[in-house]
Amino acid sequence: MRSKGTGFRAYTIAYLIFLYAPIVLLPIFAFNNSTIIAFPLAGFTTNWFRELATIPALHHAVWNSLVIAVSTSILSTCLGVFAARASTRYDFPGKGPIIGFIMLPLVLPEIIVAVSLLVVLLGIGIELSAWTVILGHVLICTPFSIAILNSAFQSLDKSLEEAAIDLGETRWSTFRLITFPLIMPGIISSLLISFTISLDEFIIAFFLTGTQPTLPVYIWSQLRFPTKLPSIMALGTILVALSITLLIIAEYFRRRGIARSGGQDAGGFL
Amino acid sequence: MKPIIQIRDVHKYYGDYHALRGINVDIGEGEFFSLLGPSGCGKTTLLRTIAGFEDLSQGTIHIDGRLMEGVPPNKRPTNMVFQSYAIFPHLTVAENVGFGLRRDPRTPAQKAAAVEEALEMVGLKGYGGRAAHALSGGQRQRVALARALILKPRVLLLDEPLSALDKKLREQMQSELRRLQRQVGITFILVTHDQEEALIMSDRIAVMFEGQIAQLAPPQELYRRPVTRQVAEFIGVMNFLPASVATVNGARIDVEVAGLGTVELAAEQCPGGARSGKGSVGFRPETLTILFEGETPRGRVAEGTVEEVTYYGDMTYYGVVPDGVDVPLTISMRNLVGRRVLERGERTRVAWDPAALVLFC
Ligand SMILES: Nc1ncnc2c1ncn2[C@@H]1O[C@H](COP(=O)(O)OP(=O)(O)OP(=O)(O)O)[C@@H](O)[C@H]1O
Ligand SMILES: [Mg+2]
Repeated sequence: MRSKGTGFRAYTIAYLIFLYAPIVLLPIFAFNNSTIIAFPLAGFTTNWFRELATIPALHHAVWNSLVIAVSTSILSTCLGVFAARASTRYDFPGKGPIIGFIMLPLVLPEIIVAVSLLVVLLGIGIELSAWTVILGHVLICTPFSIAILNSAFQSLDKSLEEAAIDLGETRWSTFRLITFPLIMPGIISSLLISFTISLDEFIIAFFLTGTQPTLPVYIWSQLRFPTKLPSIMALGTILVALSITLLIIAEYFRRRGIARSGGQDAGGFL
Repeated sequence: MKPIIQIRDVHKYYGDYHALRGINVDIGEGEFFSLLGPSGCGKTTLLRTIAGFEDLSQGTIHIDGRLMEGVPPNKRPTNMVFQSYAIFPHLTVAENVGFGLRRDPRTPAQKAAAVEEALEMVGLKGYGGRAAHALSGGQRQRVALARALILKPRVLLLDEPLSALDKKLREQMQSELRRLQRQVGITFILVTHDQEEALIMSDRIAVMFEGQIAQLAPPQELYRRPVTRQVAEFIGVMNFLPASVATVNGARIDVEVAGLGTVELAAEQCPGGARSGKGSVGFRPETLTILFEGETPRGRVAEGTVEEVTYYGDMTYYGVVPDGVDVPLTISMRNLVGRRVLERGERTRVAWDPAALVLFC
């Protein structure tokens, strides 16, 4: 028994090192006073971070990515709410196949989605822009939103909505007063997941972006210049810090929402 | 009795499944009306068609003289207490109870007073600020009740409101619900599969089987004069003996009962109507009396052997097989002071009264 236990522990530790070592290296080299990414370290500096502030192209890319990620998360969450509500509350002919087709991008290789979207967009003569990237991102994020919101709707007792209608509310006010607050944790999760997926998505952005690259596309283009590598490390450090902060905030709100409504915690991210 | 709800020839199909098969019933103003039946017989379905959550496949429902076709639940003069109570978990007790007043033109202060009054009525005075999800089962039930009653509906619909409570709390809520109904004077329609609950609380009971009303009667009539064997078996305990109708002369029916001989029954003892051929007679355990040593019978006497003895403290239930038949009859006897409890295998005499028999053909 004991040897089995230690074996499992060793496996876990190796797994965690493999998973997180690259991320730990990121801040180390971001503060390293050398353009060469290698040990031994050469000394402490914040130059790379300061350099980030002087690159307008980077700022544009960050701004593009934020606009795209925010739009994508809102759009795909809205679509997810509609689809999840329809699939959990109503029965209609062809429901299974329709939901199946909506969920398909979850398993389709992204490169296929990107190439076919590009062909279609060029075919009907739409110019590539931030909007075309949003379109592609909504396509791949919506299945995630639906999956998350489906479980939110499923754990919502149908008689709560009926009770509100029975007490004189309309369908819409029932949604606003009862359904929406109760699926709020699911909505936050969905917004967060789509935001994260969109922010670091590369392939679709690479194919569909016009003259305005997103952050991942910009980073990729900079990797060709070895001297830029340390500032990319600095950028990565900021991104990691930001995503951890975002996750913690979202998880805090999710748990508070669940505690408030006395529901069961159906699993979050943290 | 002035009817407040008139249900005419109501049918409901779920796809091919015929859930309601021709329901006809008038429910009176201020009445405590129960829908009683086994699981799956369509009680909830009928209640939900009254509330407007289910469309009818056929037939009409009038509430307060108004045809309800096409009227959505939020426009009907009914409110519902759901089986799960459907308490809004993200709101406080007071917000739950006052939920239906959102569109009410009264001032916030007046609404708060109405909420407080409703909470007091259900015995939850001072609970308004509590989070609704932190309530016990009994308290949830009361909040659901207050929330529905605050709108002063003409009809309150209750779908098995007590089934989630433990026995003691359930009995307490039964009498409280009855008291509340008398106090507010609103028509209550209660769905239950607990026959005792229906008998205790209702003015009238509709017994349902497979989407149809088998009998509609006040509790006493339902218990004493069930129209079919199925109803009789569903309400309380009933003994049955095979019987056949010998002669019918006017209002009197002569019936040959296995083990008991010939009895003469009045027409009212055949509530089902049919009065010819073979069938059975039924009688309740408390209409039979074990004769102890030296007791003189009122009515007729049969002899038999004690096969089962179940002691309940206040009562003892015996299973006695009368001579000439092989079915044991259940007999309930109060354990009076000085009365002994018979042993299994003892011979005994049983007094019975022909007036207590019900004939099913
Ligand atoms: N939405 C539905 N779709 C299909 N069948 C349904 C639906 N609702 C109810 N039924 C069927 O109709 C029948 C009656 O259901 P109903 O809920 O009215 O029973 P009930 O008498 O309330 O039973 P219980 O005591 O178990 O609550 C059942 O056989 C049920 O399976
Ligand atoms: Mg039911």
